[in-house]
Amino acid sequence: MSDNSASNSSSTSRCDYTAAFILLRLFLGLRTLLAGVEKFESSGSYSFENYYKNMGRMAQGITGASFMPLWMTRNFAHSLGYLLIAFGVALLLGIKTRVTLTLTGLLYVGLSFGLMAVQEGDGVAWLGMHILMFAVALVLSRHNRFALWADKE
Amino acid sequence: MAESPPLSRRDFLSTSAKLGAFIAAAPYIARGAAVGAAPGVDTVNVALIGCGEEGRILSNAAINIPGVRFVAVCDIWPYNLTRSSRLLQKFNHPAKPYEDYQEMLATEKEIDAVLVATPDFMHAAHTNAALKAGKHVYCEKLMSNTVEGARSMVLTARETKKLLQIGHQRRSNPRYQHARDKILREGRLLGRVTNISGQWHRAVTDDFGFPTGQGIPDAKLAKYGYANMHEFRNWRWFKKYAGGVVSDLGAHQIDIYNWMLGARPRMCMASGGVDYYKTHEWYDNAIAVYEFETKEGIVRATYEVLTTTSAGGGYHEYFMGDEGALKMSENPKFTKLYREARAPEWEPYVAKGYVTKPESGEGAPAPVKPWQKPGVKKLGGPSKAGGTVDVRETAQLSAWDMPVTLDKAIHQPHLENFFDGIRKGAALNCSADDAFASAVTVLKVNEAIAAKKMLTFSPSDFVV
Repeated sequence: MSDNSASNSSSTSRCDYTAAFILLRLFLGLRTLLAGVEKFESSGSYSFENYYKNMGRMAQGITGASFMPLWMTRNFAHSLGYLLIAFGVALLLGIKTRVTLTLTGLLYVGLSFGLMAVQEGDGVAWLGMHILMFAVALVLSRHNRFALWADKE
Repeated sequence: MAESPPLSRRDFLSTSAKLGAFIAAAPYIARGAAVGAAPGVDTVNVALIGCGEEGRILSNAAINIPGVRFVAVCDIWPYNLTRSSRLLQKFNHPAKPYEDYQEMLATEKEIDAVLVATPDFMHAAHTNAALKAGKHVYCEKLMSNTVEGARSMVLTARETKKLLQIGHQRRSNPRYQHARDKILREGRLLGRVTNISGQWHRAVTDDFGFPTGQGIPDAKLAKYGYANMHEFRNWRWFKKYAGGVVSDLGAHQIDIYNWMLGARPRMCMASGGVDYYKTHEWYDNAIAVYEFETKEGIVRATYEVLTTTSAGGGYHEYFMGDEGALKMSENPKFTKLYREARAPEWEPYVAKGYVTKPESGEGAPAPVKPWQKPGVKKLGGPSKAGGTVDVRETAQLSAWDMPVTLDKAIHQPHLENFFDGIRKGAALNCSADDAFASAVTVLKVNEAIAAKKMLTFSPSDFVV
């Protein structure tokens, strides 16, 4: 009797963790995907031209207000949008979720570093919230389900 | 090819000195050439009576106007007189100094116009004498420190058929003209104006002194009506010579109440006193309430002049209506327009050039950091600073700017209007009759403070 009860409780708990992780994965996937897509937008229209204009402005702004050279900020900025879209899609579909979470978290750490360099405290705190969610997601990632290409156990 | 003769050290120094002197003098030569000789512009020969602070402000603004030529200046204080005449002569104006204005008017026959910038109690005497001598007159505000004095000026101007402009210079300021003509009247952006508040808050100032050895002898002061050098230098604070702070600072702003509304008040009550300064006769603070009867209904107005604090936002006139408000000041940094949330959108008036969206300061969008993408829409909701704390609060007003600027000295457009009146017959922006009504409006405040009760105006009070 007591064994059955413990087993039911454990099963319920696993379902909760799975649900919690799915919610987190969907949120982070959508957030990452749209953060990448909005980099292509300007005045309501989306294009590669807008992307390079937006990213060029971002790179020059960070370089102008920090110690980082333009080649470094430009390379990071030009790859940022594509990486965010790729990682966002991967998270939504469940492709190597643990690896993707780690890489996306690192990308956000890179972004945070840029904002730390220009002393943009609000932005750093905002990105810190994201990184915290990625960390929690990694802890819960063993409860991952509905994944197109699951991680190895 | 023939060789140039070698340049000796003496020749080199001589040529350099001449060239240097020419370069240094060039601006003065250029200015001098313009005096009284502007192409296509009639020369107006001008005399200045009163070479103190206000006289210098007027002459500094007037010398920028093509064709204006100062031929004489007059002041009873040699210190001010010498300084003004020398300054004008430096700019090639043949400004001959006089102590006695009557001698000046009798001697200088070529004078066309006189600028009067003397203490208020002498405005009527100086203006009337100049008008009777056949000169056009620009007289500083307040028209006079007494209604009788102001009335005599209106009558003399009528009798002599000469122009008399009073120095309420806001009326010629293109920013004020835009505010009245486009925003209040044509666009009716404020809706029905119901209230006005105005203020001039100024920090404590020391009394004026005078340089050692430059005082006027007592006998000469007495001849010209002054008790002593302290009262001569600080005449604005004494009842014999002026109308106090309401007249000095308030006159400009209260005049704008009349001008903007196109109406006269029907009552006035006020409070004030000499609460702070020990060496003054006139009130150091005054707070007045007026009621105006306009075609659209009653407009209640307050005016506050404080000379012991600069807190509270400087100086402005604030016109408030049921759809918007206009905070107007000669200083653009105190100027702002506000749209009530219930009012129709003002975007069409941006296209018409009546208002602009602020690019900086109050109402402007948060600045985009160099690394941020511009044009990102923010979610609505109360801002950190403007959140409501009480259900009875109305929605926050949106702040707007006025697209018109003045890139000249603030007195210059009013002087230009006066000289255009002389040369081209242009209508004066502040005629003697208009200024008389403002003088009556302003001087009533002192009367109401002394009476400690509400005083009424009758329409005939404003008419000569």
